[in-house]
Amino acid sequence: MEETVITMAIQEIKISSNRIGALIGKAGSIKREIEEKTGVSIQIDSHEGLVVVEGDDPVRVLTTIELVRAISRGFSPERAFRLLEDEEVMLDVIDLSDLASSPRQLERLRGRIIGKGGTSRAQIEDMTGTSISVYGKTVAIIGLPGQIKTARSAVEMLLQGVPHEHVYAFLDRKKKEAKHDMLEYYY
Amino acid sequence: MAEERGKWGIAHIFASFNNTIITITDLSGAETVTKSSGGMVVKQDRNESSPYAAMQMAATVAQNAREKGITGVHVRVRAPGRGKQRSPGPGAQAAIRALARAGIQIGRIEDVTPVPHDGIRGKGGRRGRRV
Repeated sequence: MEETVITMAIQEIKISSNRIGALIGKAGSIKREIEEKTGVSIQIDSHEGLVVVEGDDPVRVLTTIELVRAISRGFSPERAFRLLEDEEVMLDVIDLSDLASSPRQLERLRGRIIGKGGTSRAQIEDMTGTSISVYGKTVAIIGLPGQIKTARSAVEMLLQGVPHEHVYAFLDRKKKEAKHDMLEYYY
Repeated sequence: MAEERGKWGIAHIFASFNNTIITITDLSGAETVTKSSGGMVVKQDRNESSPYAAMQMAATVAQNAREKGITGVHVRVRAPGRGKQRSPGPGAQAAIRALARAGIQIGRIEDVTPVPHDGIRGKGGRRGRRV
């Protein structure tokens, strides 16, 4: 078909308008930093919230899209850059919108995950080695696939109403298992 | 024009939380060239969706495709969709990366997750999922 454009990869993503500022940065500093680190070009429509990522390498474009998605889900650019460190590091987004029927209920669920002064979130981050961002209707997790799996089930437990202590005990158990599983998981 | 006149195909990647299935077809999508799924590369069921499994699958699929003369693929990523989650599982990213690394050119990447124009009732009943 159109074989002339095959070497260029283009992907679009729509992000909420209040995260546009975080993505662009002061006088475009963050945007420029992303472009330098990934080697792609980014166009941002700040009215519509449409971000177009363009580059030669489709894989790079894909990781950049993930990075933009992480920032749009409430991560600070510094924390989101972890996605570029290692190819294995991924982003996982848990949607809370079907779980809460009213804004108050959504707030309660968010509060459960974050904990008093962020203690619960910090605990999950610590025990699993992930970064977690609770923003709007979503919970976003950045980490290695195995770590994400554990963090995700911990968050899901909290959402189902499991007491915090039980979740911490679960994380403790998982941390011990993780060491043991490391070898099994890869072979 | 691609540098060397090679054939292009389509890599259909279905990535759910429980499995990943890679199928490479010709451009019409009707003729399957080669395929692989999680159960073909790992022993434990829970590892079928792991990125590591996806990488292995992509490697074998890439080799088979190359033997049959396919040098590049367009990618169609699909999550379970419909009533289930709409974001692809952990295997999708890994599979695309592994395909690229195995020397297959990657063309367009497209998301073909079936999204209803408001279709079916969500799983779990009126009071949600209880444990």
